[in-house]
Amino acid sequence: MSALAEPAVLEFAPPIVRAIAQRFGEHAASWQPTRDGIPTVWTDVAHLQPLLRYARQDAPASYRMLWDLTAIDERTRVHREHQPPSEFTVVYHLMSFEHNEDLRIKVALRGSSPSLPSISCLWPNANWYEREVWDLFGIRFDGHPDLRRILLPPTWQGHPLRKDAPARATEHEPYSLDEQHERAELEAMRFHPEQWGMKRHSGETEFLFLNLGPNHPSVHGVFRIVLQLKDEEIIDAVPDIGFHHRGAEKMGERQSWHTYIPYTDRIDYLGGVMNNFPYVLAVERLAGIQVPERAQVIRIMLAELFRIASHLVFYGTMSQDLGQLSPVFYMFTDRERVFEIMEAICGFRMHPAWFRIGGVAADLPQGWDRMVREFLEYLPPRLDEYDRMVMKNRLFKARTVGIGEYDVETALDWGVTGPGLRACGLPWDYRKQRPYGGYEQFEFDVPTGTRGDCYDRVAVRIEEMRQSLRIVRQCLQNMPSGPYKARHPNTTPPIKDHTMHDIETLITHFLNVSWGPVIPPGEACVSVEATKGINGYYLISDGDTMSYRTRIRTPSFPHLQMIPAISRGHLLADLIAIVGSIDFVMADVDR
Amino acid sequence: MRWSITRLSGTGHETSATLRPQSAAGAPQSGPAAAAAAAPAAGPATGSFTEAVRRNLILTRLEDMVAWGRKYSLWPFNFGLSCCYVEMATAFTSKYDIARFGAEVLRATPRESDLIVISGTVFIKMAPVVKWLYEQMLEPRWVISMGSCANSGGMYDIYSVVQGVDTFLPVDVYVPGCPPRPDALLEGLILLQQAVGSERRPLSWVVGPQGVERAPKPSLRDAKHAQRAQQTQLRSPDTV
Repeated sequence: MSALAEPAVLEFAPPIVRAIAQRFGEHAASWQPTRDGIPTVWTDVAHLQPLLRYARQDAPASYRMLWDLTAIDERTRVHREHQPPSEFTVVYHLMSFEHNEDLRIKVALRGSSPSLPSISCLWPNANWYEREVWDLFGIRFDGHPDLRRILLPPTWQGHPLRKDAPARATEHEPYSLDEQHERAELEAMRFHPEQWGMKRHSGETEFLFLNLGPNHPSVHGVFRIVLQLKDEEIIDAVPDIGFHHRGAEKMGERQSWHTYIPYTDRIDYLGGVMNNFPYVLAVERLAGIQVPERAQVIRIMLAELFRIASHLVFYGTMSQDLGQLSPVFYMFTDRERVFEIMEAICGFRMHPAWFRIGGVAADLPQGWDRMVREFLEYLPPRLDEYDRMVMKNRLFKARTVGIGEYDVETALDWGVTGPGLRACGLPWDYRKQRPYGGYEQFEFDVPTGTRGDCYDRVAVRIEEMRQSLRIVRQCLQNMPSGPYKARHPNTTPPIKDHTMHDIETLITHFLNVSWGPVIPPGEACVSVEATKGINGYYLISDGDTMSYRTRIRTPSFPHLQMIPAISRGHLLADLIAIVGSIDFVMADVDR
Repeated sequence: MRWSITRLSGTGHETSATLRPQSAAGAPQSGPAAAAAAAPAAGPATGSFTEAVRRNLILTRLEDMVAWGRKYSLWPFNFGLSCCYVEMATAFTSKYDIARFGAEVLRATPRESDLIVISGTVFIKMAPVVKWLYEQMLEPRWVISMGSCANSGGMYDIYSVVQGVDTFLPVDVYVPGCPPRPDALLEGLILLQQAVGSERRPLSWVVGPQGVERAPKPSLRDAKHAQRAQQTQLRSPDTV
């Protein structure tokens, strides 16, 4: 073992790491200090399952949720301090809600086509994550019930997130689609119940298989779900995703730290700058940048306005899915008001890419406060009116109350975060539990539901809009003065004052503008309470001008995975309510 | 304004007639557009038979009439791929109100739609589905490519994205932007309407040598360049 790979001294490790090392032996568990301070343990394939089982069941914090599962191709990485040798690493990110702690477990894998045991027996939501890792990295999971591609077409060759796989479309053959090719692709997409372990008959009953999507008005984007129906009752469902895979993670490996920001906007495309938030926070954590107060408050204000805009779209489309035609027109009109503010401040509607490493792109324009104040007066009475129009509507209630119910245990099993988790009664909001970016200074409540059904999920989001308005009001009343960007050499764009003194400062500025900043090597995962749940960016810097690995943990991916579990036994029409109440966009699922 | 019926000759369209205003205001207009303007005729009533005919009859070519009708009732397919679809949906709501252009009748099936707006990124996994949906549309059919991704792949030169929908679909109008504003989509729709009004597309399947006569596709960037270049004073972004 080289000096680089020497494990870090265990006595400085967090308690959980020491507990694991004590239980499984130091050879089976070594500690890696990371920038984000999340306890990180390296283990080997043999100890993986027992270690994860211990973390889930016996550890004092009881890491109940598999929050993320991903992989890293380590083959070209230079800076691997305190890490055992590994060609591919599979990373398990666990979360404990009781103790408000995270745990990251890494497995070192050797060789070019490695395999390791599946953990879908421990967490049901590991199923899709493992399929994703297989699809993008070519790492096999032994014992997985159904290891097949998930994001890329079934006919795809290769594993694109491997370092030796070409990234650009223009590096591949130019795309063409003749009749034969089209037929073959469509045929490969055809649903065969037998492949999914489904029966066509049961006794006297013959099941109907209904294909919904990938283009259907009520699946909110390019999402396909195949239903096994007995009359109108849903026996089983198979969601099929990947129609919206834009390779955002691979894109992070070729864009500079700065020029990747616009790509984040397009992940949850209803969330706008809310997506910039975890990304810039993660880069700032790696670079050690402290953001000035004014920039913090500007960020929070814009993010909360986008939360309102996103929830308004959800509210309108949800009621439209259930047959109400008017609300969506009202709510899109309200959303335009948010966009008027956004345009005045950022000059862009949906994807402002307004956050910068170290602050925001520019100061607030004169007159912003008037616009925000007008909006704060405008929206609350409208929301009250919508309560009468939608939430008190008997038909709307009949379609949503008691539909798609799940409890906290189920939610944790499936990795549900955000309003979908709070609707079951767990008041867990990232902004409250682990305040980031200045949220600790704001007063707001965390709305919760009781039943965890479709109605509660809508109600929680509506109350969240009111709480967001409260936060925006506090931003308006207490906007600090001062700089809107940190004075740190790694901020983007670099500080202009530091240039034009001599050739050295000029060159430094020139390099920071053209190549972008060099972020110190390290790993950091930073998450925020995004519009749809917890959105996290796990960034690995190898001391370069771009990220070595960009992992985007999005909330909608696990949410879609649980659709079959919560829709079995319901009627077909209820599925539309369930799908609507989850509130997802496909870019947030497939990235 | 008074109208008289004039028979054209020597234009190659011997059987057609068109309306032409008697007053010298403006150039002669062609059939349907003039017909729309002539509907509330406000001239002095003389009560003669000729006058009544002049006021109540519109003569035009069937082709023009059909083109005029098509132009103002383009039924879009309810189809979206990604972010652009949200802006497309916004164009349908009150502030932008695509109904003003007669294109608000969203159809949930391609078989009833005239227009497909490729609003968003065209993914390799999705492309065969897009093509298949397009093939189910009845002719004549039109395609608007909305946003940079559909136009060219845009900022996504990446393994899973088709670099422009025109690699497998015939595009009529390209709307730039990432995403384009709803007003930009409406401008694209107007351009398409102009093309539909002047283009000779068959009513249905045709056998024979008559192909589709394509309307010219001018670049608005070129058309607006001179005007834009004149603008030297831009509003400061420091005030709202």
